[in-house]
Amino acid sequence: MTVLENAPQTALDFADLVGRHQAMVFSVCWHFLHDRSLADEVAQDVFFSLHRNLAAIESPEHATHWLRKVAAQRSIDESRRRNRRPQVSLADVAEPASIAPARDLLLAETLHRLIASLPESPRMVMILRYQEDLDPADIAETLDMPVSTVKSHLQRSLALLREKLTRRGVGVEKWTG
Amino acid sequence: MDWLEQELKNGLARKEPPPGFADRVLRRVGHRAQSPVWRHSRWLAAAAAVVMITGGAAWREHQGHVAKEQVMLAFRIAAVKVNQIQAHIQEATR
Repeated sequence: MTVLENAPQTALDFADLVGRHQAMVFSVCWHFLHDRSLADEVAQDVFFSLHRNLAAIESPEHATHWLRKVAAQRSIDESRRRNRRPQVSLADVAEPASIAPARDLLLAETLHRLIASLPESPRMVMILRYQEDLDPADIAETLDMPVSTVKSHLQRSLALLREKLTRRGVGVEKWTG
Repeated sequence: MDWLEQELKNGLARKEPPPGFADRVLRRVGHRAQSPVWRHSRWLAAAAAVVMITGGAAWREHQGHVAKEQVMLAFRIAAVKVNQIQAHIQEATR
């Protein structure tokens, strides 16, 4: 076990933190940016920052919270910096060619594209809610925004997704029974 | 949680990063800094720098002494020559 010399009090092992949290950090970046190599790059930056700030990390829980927050912020920053707002808009999402055997795959793909088309804040709120299973209070703390804003983003995004899916007839039968 | 939320949960499930991600991170942050070899090599580099600086100063001082001795030797030779010339002149004028 290699303990970082600049964090003797916490005895947090950097390699262990990378191993434990790499999927979480990478997934936040990947789901937000929709670019695998860019997500890889940003996720590495997040861990690089952790390494530099390890002395300030007080516990494994603190590390988890810190990584999630920084991954979210860096992803949003990167998106703004590169002006990589998703190229697809809600209106551009393709109509399903058929309601055939690959219905679930089509639904997953459509959902993916719809999420990618959300504006930055609601998109990150959705990722933290459904990837990380955070409640609105935790999301609010992670993104430094009021809980009411988080709830509003969640409700509006869900309503928008339902509306778009209904209009396209994707997955409708699932909630109509 | 309704079906849409369940679909979102499935669609936004965590994904594994590309193979070798952790290794690249550790390489990038210079994990070698944690190895005793690297820690010792930093001390060695510092010690080498001190030796070079003090050695350089000592060498310059030594060179100064050598130059000073050469000048003194030149003065002594010149003085001997002057004395010899003076002696010749006195002998010739006698």
